[in-house]
Amino acid sequence: MTNISRRSLMKMGGALMAATALTPSLSFAQAASINYWHTFTSQSEQAGLDQVMALFKAAHPDIAVTPENIPNPEFMAKITAAVVSGSRPNVSMVSSERFRDLLAMGALTDISERVAGWERRADFDDARFASISLDGKIYGVPAFTFVDWMYYRKDWFEEAGIAVPTTLAELYDAAVKLTDPAKGRYGFGLRGGPGGQNPIINMMEAFGSPVLHADGTIGLDREKAIAGITYWSDMAKNAAPPSAANDGFRQIIEGFQTGQTAMIYHHTGSYQDIASKLKPGVEFGTMAIPAGPATRVARLAYAYNTITSDENADASWEWIKFWGEPDAAIAFLEKTGYFPASTTAAADPRITGNEMYKAAAETLGFGIPQPSFPGAAGWAESTVLQAFQRILIGEITPEQAVDEMIAGLAEATA
Amino acid sequence: MSRSLNMPGSRPPRTIWEAISPFRLIGELSETRYWMYLLLLPSALLITAVVLYPTVYGMQMSFREMRLNRPDLGNDWVLFKHYVRMINDPIFWVSLRNTAVWVTSSIVLEFLIGLIAALALNRDLPGTKLLAVLILLPYFLPNVVAGHMWALMLDPRMGVINDLLLKVGLLTEYKAWFADPTTAMAAAIIVEAWHSFPFFTLLIMAGLKGIPTDLYKAANIDGAGAFAQLRLITLPMLKTIIAAAVILRVIGLVNSPDLLLILTSGGPGRSTQVLSLYAFQMAYKDFNFGYAGALSVVMFVFLMLFAWAYVRLSKVNQE
Repeated sequence: MTNISRRSLMKMGGALMAATALTPSLSFAQAASINYWHTFTSQSEQAGLDQVMALFKAAHPDIAVTPENIPNPEFMAKITAAVVSGSRPNVSMVSSERFRDLLAMGALTDISERVAGWERRADFDDARFASISLDGKIYGVPAFTFVDWMYYRKDWFEEAGIAVPTTLAELYDAAVKLTDPAKGRYGFGLRGGPGGQNPIINMMEAFGSPVLHADGTIGLDREKAIAGITYWSDMAKNAAPPSAANDGFRQIIEGFQTGQTAMIYHHTGSYQDIASKLKPGVEFGTMAIPAGPATRVARLAYAYNTITSDENADASWEWIKFWGEPDAAIAFLEKTGYFPASTTAAADPRITGNEMYKAAAETLGFGIPQPSFPGAAGWAESTVLQAFQRILIGEITPEQAVDEMIAGLAEATA
Repeated sequence: MSRSLNMPGSRPPRTIWEAISPFRLIGELSETRYWMYLLLLPSALLITAVVLYPTVYGMQMSFREMRLNRPDLGNDWVLFKHYVRMINDPIFWVSLRNTAVWVTSSIVLEFLIGLIAALALNRDLPGTKLLAVLILLPYFLPNVVAGHMWALMLDPRMGVINDLLLKVGLLTEYKAWFADPTTAMAAAIIVEAWHSFPFFTLLIMAGLKGIPTDLYKAANIDGAGAFAQLRLITLPMLKTIIAAAVILRVIGLVNSPDLLLILTSGGPGRSTQVLSLYAFQMAYKDFNFGYAGALSVVMFVFLMLFAWAYVRLSKVNQE
């Protein structure tokens, strides 16, 4: 029988204690947990997120991602409160028009070095990072693309013998022709309620009045802006349902799905929702945004994933860059319709071979980013949309509305 | 302090340890007039931390430049800049007018429905207990749920309310209630009244239980009818409860933008824009916390003045 000395026993005890002390910390180090704030709301978006999470879990079993849905209208309030109170999420989804506001309040982390060393950096051209970069620093990774396009009732167009519009003038004519209030049919599902500000800005730009010049000075040209606003308000009055002034995302989608409207202006992210009720290529089709008298304005906005907390930053980085993997991007597209931000993934035959995505692929060639400056989102929502609604309810004229918009923009950028 | 601790008749400490013993010190302190202040200290600290500090912080914010998305502007004191802007801000005046309409109409409607419901439930008829639970249900729903539910029910495409009104012939076509400035506020007030009338029902029912039945018996003998009994007995006896309920509801209505945020976002145009919603939008859409703070301070002052005037006019505190 072997005798164990007191010294050996103490050594063994010390080693055991060290082992037990180290074991949990090793296991914690391997299993990182991060939370992810996103604004996905529809069933298809949720299904897309679930799909990406499943793929991520298979690739990174050591990282647990807890998604937290923050409704889009409340997102800025929640993230502001989280930043001010120091209870930030690890990762947040940030749309390009919110970037400058969030950066200004110190919510975002500079990830330039991580992006520079990323193995998939070459899959994304520089333009993809433009809306999330400032002064040479990058603050996020593009997750997917909002490609502006339009849905139209292919069967109604064929029935009325109307060609797919390529200009805004043709769009207006088609919308008016397809409007028949007696039948409960309207040519255009115009979004005049929550979220309706971007098409209004786009119309002004399509008529030759961009929000800002390239040097950052106010670009709104009064006469051209009035022309754009008059066009859009005429569309609302003559071809949209009477509810247009309060119609938001749900209402325009439901209006199109239920056969109330012939066309809607949205982005590719609603494709699967539409396709769940109407037959693609038979009952509905997709088209690129028609050209305006001055220019063709279709936005290419990116949803970015950003690191908003230093805690578990490595795990956060793994999660946000995973969205750039072609398999994840295609899986998300197939569930939702959101286009991949990765140029490699966008060239995948599963996309290029689909006729319904042709309009989106075409838009990638001429689409432009959203105007971005601190206060852009607030100005668009509080001033532009409100002034436009006041035209629709007969309170003010397009001229007065544009004057309000110019004054509001001057105040926001002062 | 040391003089007061040496109470007359108290035994002087025998040792140094006894002299500095906390138990002995606390014992002696409890005999002094400072003891009650010490007992109040934890509550005072808690109130300062939870109530006073945020209130004062919010007020001082209204005198500062505070735009979270414009750190280049700094956060210096700007004195009354935001208040001067408010005077020249047409949206502020529209919001103020809308707030008055929103609060007054909602309170009147909620009180009337709440009173009728409470009187009906107080009759102890069969099934009233079940009915009481059903009537209270709307109040248990969060504003967000109630708002979305009613937005669907009033939907101009598939809303059940439009369908019913069309079937009974009150409408000739589906109505977009929240897109028309003449109906948007009224529709929102009805939703609000539906959601919050149980608050009045609950409090009035509690008050009704406390009214002696002898009063009604005597009134019956004197030949007073139901309306006279309501006017001369029930309402005067409920005055304190009604006053408290009205003040609480007014505070709730002035401060909560959530229902209007969901139903209309203040639109169409500015037709349902109220002060709380405007302050919320200023803070969380424009990130102008200075101006939002000033709007909040004005709401705070209005509420204080209202509560003071209401209590004085209703003469509640004189009884």
